[in-house]
Amino acid sequence: MARYAMVIDTRSCIGCHSCTVACKVHNDLPVEIIYNPVTTVGPTGVYPDLHMVHVPLLCMHCDNAPCVDACPTCASQRRDKDGIVFVEDEKCVGCLACVMACPYGARIKNHATGAVQKCDFCKDRVDLGMNPHCVNTCHQKARIFGDLDDPESEVAKLVNGENAVRLLGELNTEPYVFYIYGLEVKNP
Amino acid sequence: MSAKHQSWGWMLAVDFFFAGMGGGMLLVAGLIELFAGTGQLSLLGNIVGPLCMCVGCGFLILELGRPLQAWRVFMNPKAILTCGAWIMSVAIVVGLVYASYGLNPAWFGMDKLFWQEWGALRKLLAVVCVLTGLVVATYPGVLLGRHKGRPFWVGPGIMTLFLLSSVVTGVAAHIICGMILPPVEMPGAWNHLPALAGGLLFFQLVAWIGYLWIKRTGTTAAEAASALKWLQGCYADTFKAVVMFMGTIVPLVLVMIPSPLCQGSGALLVLVGGVVMRCLVVYAGEDRTWLPGEQKYRGRLPLGNEAFLKAWSK
Amino acid sequence: MSKIINLMQDGVTVKKSACYFCHQNCGVLAYVKDGKVLGIEGDPEFPTNQGGLCCRGNIAMQHLDHPERINYPLKRVGKRGEGKWEKIPWAQAIDEIGAKLLQIRSEFGAEAVATAGGTQRTDDWARRRFMNLFGSPNGFHNAHLCWIPTFMVETAIYGWCPFELDMGSSRCLVLWGQNPGAAGMPEMHHITELQEKGMKVIVIDPRFSETAAKADLWLPLRPGSDLALALAWIHVIIFDGLYDQEFVANCCEGFGELADHVEQFSPEWASELTWLTPDQIRNSAYMYAMNKPGNIQWGTSVDQIGRPAGAAMHARAILRAITGNLDAPGSDLLTGPSPDFVTDEEMEANEQLPEEQKSKQIGSDRFKLVTWPGYTKIAEQTKKVWGKAPTAEWMCEAHPPSVFRAILSGKPYQVKALLVSATNPINSYGETKLVMEALKAVDFMITCDYWMTPTAALSDYVLPIAGALERPTITSSYGCSDFLLASQRAIPPMYERRNDYNFWRDLGIAVGQKSMWPWDTVEAAYYHKIEALGYDVNDYDEFVERYRFHFPEREYFKYQRQGFATPSGKIELYSSVLKDLGYPPLPPYIGPTENEIDDPELAKEFPLVLTTGGGFMPYHHSEHFQIKEVRFLRHEPYMDINPATAAELEIKDGDWVWIETKRGRIKQRANLTQGIHPRVVYTQRGWWFPERSMNTPELGGCTESNTNILTSTADEHCDPYSGAWANRGLLCRVYKVDESSMKGVN
Repeated sequence: MARYAMVIDTRSCIGCHSCTVACKVHNDLPVEIIYNPVTTVGPTGVYPDLHMVHVPLLCMHCDNAPCVDACPTCASQRRDKDGIVFVEDEKCVGCLACVMACPYGARIKNHATGAVQKCDFCKDRVDLGMNPHCVNTCHQKARIFGDLDDPESEVAKLVNGENAVRLLGELNTEPYVFYIYGLEVKNP
Repeated sequence: MSAKHQSWGWMLAVDFFFAGMGGGMLLVAGLIELFAGTGQLSLLGNIVGPLCMCVGCGFLILELGRPLQAWRVFMNPKAILTCGAWIMSVAIVVGLVYASYGLNPAWFGMDKLFWQEWGALRKLLAVVCVLTGLVVATYPGVLLGRHKGRPFWVGPGIMTLFLLSSVVTGVAAHIICGMILPPVEMPGAWNHLPALAGGLLFFQLVAWIGYLWIKRTGTTAAEAASALKWLQGCYADTFKAVVMFMGTIVPLVLVMIPSPLCQGSGALLVLVGGVVMRCLVVYAGEDRTWLPGEQKYRGRLPLGNEAFLKAWSK
Repeated sequence: MSKIINLMQDGVTVKKSACYFCHQNCGVLAYVKDGKVLGIEGDPEFPTNQGGLCCRGNIAMQHLDHPERINYPLKRVGKRGEGKWEKIPWAQAIDEIGAKLLQIRSEFGAEAVATAGGTQRTDDWARRRFMNLFGSPNGFHNAHLCWIPTFMVETAIYGWCPFELDMGSSRCLVLWGQNPGAAGMPEMHHITELQEKGMKVIVIDPRFSETAAKADLWLPLRPGSDLALALAWIHVIIFDGLYDQEFVANCCEGFGELADHVEQFSPEWASELTWLTPDQIRNSAYMYAMNKPGNIQWGTSVDQIGRPAGAAMHARAILRAITGNLDAPGSDLLTGPSPDFVTDEEMEANEQLPEEQKSKQIGSDRFKLVTWPGYTKIAEQTKKVWGKAPTAEWMCEAHPPSVFRAILSGKPYQVKALLVSATNPINSYGETKLVMEALKAVDFMITCDYWMTPTAALSDYVLPIAGALERPTITSSYGCSDFLLASQRAIPPMYERRNDYNFWRDLGIAVGQKSMWPWDTVEAAYYHKIEALGYDVNDYDEFVERYRFHFPEREYFKYQRQGFATPSGKIELYSSVLKDLGYPPLPPYIGPTENEIDDPELAKEFPLVLTTGGGFMPYHHSEHFQIKEVRFLRHEPYMDINPATAAELEIKDGDWVWIETKRGRIKQRANLTQGIHPRVVYTQRGWWFPERSMNTPELGGCTESNTNILTSTADEHCDPYSGAWANRGLLCRVYKVDESSMKGVN
């Protein structure tokens, strides 16, 4: 039993969009589908007292995933063994219930196939012991992936040791992607 | 790449309208059958109710990315959409069987239709109509209200708005059907429908004003911003002119005037208001709980019609 | 859903290749089966990127077999710019081009043939070898904008450019006009790691760039005012007693003259010119001087400020010397050229070019530093001490704007042919209108490229060149480093593409140079380079597979053993080499190329200050605009403008605006940002629209948003030392585009 999680260290993230592109090319995504946008907040402040932060976004692989509850066909599933949320394409009818249910905008309809797809933490790679593509490609090593249930893992140490927050935590979806912000970022 | 294609659209709104109206029609039919007596509503209305639900389902199926796989929506008992699908299926079947009680055997060249003698069954079917009709009239509102990520929808209020609208459009539809094919037992419950409609319209007016006021002033910043679009922003004109004025206030007056023409047109306006209201609500679902920096990022993405997207294909 | 390349299947080999889309040349593993590349990823064992790969590296597969790649040699039929081509065999192309060049040489002299290159993406020593053997001194790149003037000024002063930053134990890094966060990812990672250990970072940049956002100190100076800042830093370091007395006494010449010279250049004086406060100037100088050892990472910005460039480089170079931040652990190292492997310069056959031809190098009469006069002087010194010279293809080049003018005016003599390889001059060279005129007018032009660029579209022949996965790569900092990183090709060139090395070789053979081209493949030539290292390998591929790189043992304080490669044997703060070339021996103050103090009339018409040339993801110069998988990230050009200024001009975020200088105007969308001074604007470089027609007049929209429409290469705007022209510190104005002129913009 494991619980995969990702930690995004925005103190290192430089906003280069490499993870966005790596995910896209390795998953053969059509141009209009982006699993992994990297947004930029700022420069905030008034010239020249500024700060800026980049926020990579992705599916949060929530424990309390609204998308899994919303799916009428059981296409949207959460793996019990490790918490990864994914779409079983065969079962998806493209009703968009999950797209509407997800507060993080992580799910996208593919107009060519009619079904919905999203980041799946590269589960096929993870099953072979490899990291997701976005993690590997990051020069800044700003994305850390691992098993939160393992106290020796880097993610566990970061989530428990640093000030790691969840996005939209108040919505109680229990996301498993955590963000570490620098001190100057008060309200990302 | 525009977000417009990544959200529910008018077809779902029309599905909600027809399904809700059908549910309301079944609810009203069932209640009148049980508490006022048999045959007081038009046969046409009783048939149109389940048929509306079918039409609604049709739009739902067309909206799907993979319409031929629509049968799959019955699969997940934990999902509201699945429950809704099952209950609506039961409602359609039960509604049609119930309506068939009003059929004249002579139309089929027979002396009688055997089940029309089973009065107890008719009452039982009416009970099921009430229950399933109520669920069908209510569940879309429950579905929307549970969307934590859609600020305009989230919360218990939208359930009330949808239920009210379903019932009042159901009543309006019965009024119109009764004008086309009058009920067997006249005067009866059908003659009181305009007054019922008037009362419901009054509640609808109050409910909308309350909903928007609370959203705008007593909730989160995202919700307040989403409500602003209905008061001053892109939905405001349509909402005020079509949903509130033409769809609620004018019919409220018209149905109180004891003239078939006024009451009939009032009922029609209620239907127009109902469908437009649902369209606006569904479009309002495009507003999400945006994440930091997200709107600026998405705002600068290509729209989808740019030349470079099509220029090189292998 | 994510692809797994089944490495267990039979027949998959892993090739140790490189990404070649920028100078970092990150290591890439290519998985190859049956001559096809199945997939790529970053090489976790490569010392610079350790498995990381940026946007550009990730689209290698999309680049490799893109439908728009040129795959066959093309010969123009019809008029220039009509877009009518005939596919011809390579042999025919080479024969015809060779014959034409010989004809031009016999009629007009070898010097009538010029070559144009871009950033380092090709085996430029092979290009120089061809030109030397052919007899022409007129090869050039965008060298003037890219490190080369800095290299030569610093080599003149300290005997080699200290571009090897020994950051591991550094306590302070000055990023002078560099933004690795948007351009050099392995470097940025290294910096981030060291920051976590306490290294201080100062970023000198008018923009609140990605890197500036992570810095300890951000100095948003007026574009082009780097010289004033550097002079003030010298002033502070000397007059506040922060300089390294021992190092200065033992290793430097001319300190007294320097001190006298900078007495007037106080922070208060510089404050007006740089738009920084005296405290900012003073504090930053302290941060550098007091946190030793420290590094100054040059960025190409100072190469791009035009008139003050040479002096600014000299002033900046002085800073390392007076703080003793040279060749010490943690500082900037004078590694010198490699004594171990065959350097690029040694492959160039420079001795084959007759003196008479050298003297004909266009621009060498006015801009001596990076042409034969300066190069000869400097190479003499480096050969004495290091035994080798800097790479001539880059450090000793014709002045590009003067060559374009020669094409048009016939002065100083006629230039009849232009061989273009790995560049789109319309996009990347200053003063686009001049370049376009010259390209349209030149008698004979051929282009070697991956794509049908606007320049290729105007050429007589277009030749298909193989890209990163189809070629081996040696990274050695333009042939000037003492280390090298080696990569092998994943597959042989697809279709009828060839390596640029083979183009020059084949052309050389066609014009009679056969005996001087003994290596028939790139690998053979590379093996020749590395053989002397003494690794037990039989060929280049084996070296890559077994060793991959060569880092010599680091020797600090080499000057204690051999002195500095200057006439006096010491660091010449007061430079005799510059003086001999007719330049000031100490850096004078020169204002930015266009500025409000020297030219108030111009400033009335053009009240804002322009900076451009700064790179941004996912593009590299003008590359990758046709790769959809990255183009969607930034599919339209955006310029940066402060919201206060935008409000005055009634410009809202996203509006199309004109940016205009005396040379012309372009349109880009407005990005309102606090990250820039209210009087400064920044335009993105590189913009063309490959999805549009490449025929005239459209030419891929290459003048619509191309920032080089705004720049100037007039002699009086160029750096007198090197001839580098200005992208930064020009005067401009900005105003909204009205709806009627929006047609044709996508």
